[in-house]
Amino acid sequence: MAELRRILHVEDDPSIQAVTKLALEAVGGYEVLSCSSGAQALEEVEAFAPDFILLDVMMPGMDGPQTLLRLRERIDLERIPVTFMTAKVQPSEIEHLRKLGARDVIVKPFDPMQLAEQIRSIWLSGRY
Amino acid sequence: MESPQQSTTPMPSTAQPRELSRLAALLRYEILDTPEDSAFDDFTALAAQMCDTPIALISLVDDRRQWFKSRVGLDVSETSREISFCTYTIAGDEIFEVPDTLQDPRFCNNPLVLGEPHIRFYAGTPLTSPDGYNLGTLCVIDRQPRRLSPEQRETLERLGRQVIRLFEQHLLAHRHAEQAALQQAILDSASSAVLVTRPDGVVTSVNPTAERLLGYSEQALVGHPLTAALFRPEALQRRALLLSSELQVPVEADFSVLSAPLHRGRRDMSEWRLRHQNGNEVPVLLGVSAIHDEQEHLRGYLVNAYDLAYQEQLQLRLQQIAAQVPGMLFQFHWRADGPACFPYVSEGVEQIYGLSPGQLAGSFAPIVGRVHGPDRSALLISIRKAASELTPWHSEHRVEHPHKGLIWVEARATPLQQADGSVLWHGFVTDITARKAEQLELDKQQEMNRRLLEALSEAVIACDAEGNLTLFNEKAKQWHGADVAPLSPSEWAHHYRLYRADGVTPLEPEEIPLRRALNGEHVIDHEMVLLSNGAPRHVLSNADPLYTSDGQRMGAVVVLHDITERKRIERLQREFISTVSHELRTPLTSITGALALICSNVMGEVPESMHELLEIAQQNSQRLSALIDDLLDMDKLHAGKMRFDMLEQPLQPQLELALRSNGSYAERHGVQLHLGACPPVNVTVDAMRLQQVLSNLLSNAAKFSPAGERVELSAQVSDGRVRVSVRDQGPGISDEFRARVFQKFAQADSSDSRQQGGTGLGLAISKELIEHMGGQIGFESEPSQGACFWFELPIQGQAKESP
Repeated sequence: MAELRRILHVEDDPSIQAVTKLALEAVGGYEVLSCSSGAQALEEVEAFAPDFILLDVMMPGMDGPQTLLRLRERIDLERIPVTFMTAKVQPSEIEHLRKLGARDVIVKPFDPMQLAEQIRSIWLSGRY
Repeated sequence: MESPQQSTTPMPSTAQPRELSRLAALLRYEILDTPEDSAFDDFTALAAQMCDTPIALISLVDDRRQWFKSRVGLDVSETSREISFCTYTIAGDEIFEVPDTLQDPRFCNNPLVLGEPHIRFYAGTPLTSPDGYNLGTLCVIDRQPRRLSPEQRETLERLGRQVIRLFEQHLLAHRHAEQAALQQAILDSASSAVLVTRPDGVVTSVNPTAERLLGYSEQALVGHPLTAALFRPEALQRRALLLSSELQVPVEADFSVLSAPLHRGRRDMSEWRLRHQNGNEVPVLLGVSAIHDEQEHLRGYLVNAYDLAYQEQLQLRLQQIAAQVPGMLFQFHWRADGPACFPYVSEGVEQIYGLSPGQLAGSFAPIVGRVHGPDRSALLISIRKAASELTPWHSEHRVEHPHKGLIWVEARATPLQQADGSVLWHGFVTDITARKAEQLELDKQQEMNRRLLEALSEAVIACDAEGNLTLFNEKAKQWHGADVAPLSPSEWAHHYRLYRADGVTPLEPEEIPLRRALNGEHVIDHEMVLLSNGAPRHVLSNADPLYTSDGQRMGAVVVLHDITERKRIERLQREFISTVSHELRTPLTSITGALALICSNVMGEVPESMHELLEIAQQNSQRLSALIDDLLDMDKLHAGKMRFDMLEQPLQPQLELALRSNGSYAERHGVQLHLGACPPVNVTVDAMRLQQVLSNLLSNAAKFSPAGERVELSAQVSDGRVRVSVRDQGPGISDEFRARVFQKFAQADSSDSRQQGGTGLGLAISKELIEHMGGQIGFESEPSQGACFWFELPIQGQAKESP
């Protein structure tokens, strides 16, 4: 079983992008590629070959769920889990996002000191 | 006329119509079976003598016999018609003569021929009435055969005509006697007093009514001059003077005052006071007629006296009754040719029109003059209309009373058409000024109320006990798209529909506020949506049952307040807060994250000098995040968008979790959280929301507790509910703050919030969350004795009492 090393992060807000990248690289020691849109993510995903994809829900243009549907056509979601980040915390919405194929949902605002650990737990939860 | 000798015909029949008329004529003379009368006997004696016969008879033939009114030379008074000779005589128009009975086959076997009186000769002349009926005969009879000479025949006929004249006189005398008796009977029984005088005024006859009225017997008055006996001289003189001037001839103060007008063609009725035998005066109305004979000679006077005492009594009684009636009674006479008058008005006319009855004697004008100018024409029109239609008349008009000023009166009367085409009214008039004033005041009040209702910016609707709409003001009409008050409830739906506050669920009929109020409920601030032609209108309805002063339910009223605009502003505010919060959250996430990373030294050691400032920045960014979270929660709660995933679960693990989650926060305040008793019960809650509430309560308690104290979390069961309490040792809740504890942005002291780091929304959100989960929230506190915040939830499943 592969190790969790590379994380693809899709987020339109540059500040969140930066903080998240820092939190995952500095705290978790992962390699992070930040994409500012769903379209960019679709372009980069094959070349980057991430182990884990972190996807913002609300984005201009192609939003998170739409990006997920497109990603699903190219990659094996069992092998590369996708997790959403969202401010919306309704359990029904979380359920909806899971049904689209997301492994989990991380609620914003996140604790940057714990984000790496959170992602690691999610990654491990898919291992049998 | 057949000759008797030749005739063999049987006796004339008695059953023919002519015979019946003849019998009727005979009976009319009323002479049959009357006593002997010498006037008739003179004629029979004369006939016997002139014809030189021993027997002469006046014979009257009725249906079965001949009866002799007068007879000479015969003893029997009648014989059977079958054997009578006279039957043959009355069948013809001239003398019937039988010269020798034994030679005549009609009579040869007649018992009067064969026996007594042995008639051998008969001659009779018919007695013919002026109207042509032969009533009987004047006949002569001999015991020897013979013939009458022509002179004798003529004499017999002449005598016969005289006998008929005698019959006529007899009849006339009889009629006169009857007439006199009838007149006497009439006079005797007349209800008015009648006195008969000679032309010079001397009394000749007095009827019993006059005797009773005047106290004199007939004998006492007969032979005395009428005026001298019964009239007062002064009255006679006054009347004589008056008549002298009226008639332009001198009239003496005697009987002339009664007879003079008559001779000038006037039939006056005049009022007099006659002297009673006992000295009293008797009021009478006198009518005088002249009595003339057939030759138009004046034979005397008939004086009729009508007793007015009875009339005066009636008049008095009417006056007394009328005086008791408020207002005035009247009789009003309107002749076909125009003029109108009052035959009677009660004294009340003074009270109503300020006029005396005397002022109205001749004319209607004084009353019209008193009627308030602007009301006159309507009054006259209404009178004319009622007179022409003969319908009951009713009028309310104003009167310019000389003492009372302007008053309102009500008049009612019933018109009756008289034979001469005039109209007679009976009615009354009452003063309704007071009632009118009340009515006007009431009208004013009602008008005021109506204007008030129309001026309101609220819709006001009321109904009676049966649910019929009685009030539907202008705003109600606008909002419902029509005045539905006159329509049946089934038609209302054509104009508007009612929905619950969500704007989509139709309101059930029993949910309609007015209906609920009619059922006795007080409806307070019930929100609903009214959809007519246009945009939906959000309204708050307040409805109440209406009661009469004695507690009977008389209907219900609902007041609708339009909150559409308020709702719109609230929605805009919410949208604004929501948008702003969302927009704030993203940069805040970066700030918080960045600070957290810096403070954790992962980016390298932070110089000690910056450490404190970075701590401050980090804490405040966290506080800002919490505030935004709370604002968004509040928004969701208000918009009804917050979902609750209710699940039945044990309470205790939730309390334990809350204790763990908030432990580190409490420790930062130097406070220890402690879990006390917790019964093993299940509750149905959204666990995440329950944690939110517990966090709020525990963090509040920790914040307000002095360092070193402890906060106790515990639960107790009572009445099927479980109460979860958070007790602290802080300063407690001040009296001023108690009422606002659960309000948004409520903080005991505005300086507190910054110092204590709260958002001011926690308790308000907790209250909403607990209520959404079917519970209640509250607190108990004495200042400086700490506070105890609690919430209660229904126990689910098999509730177990505390061990």
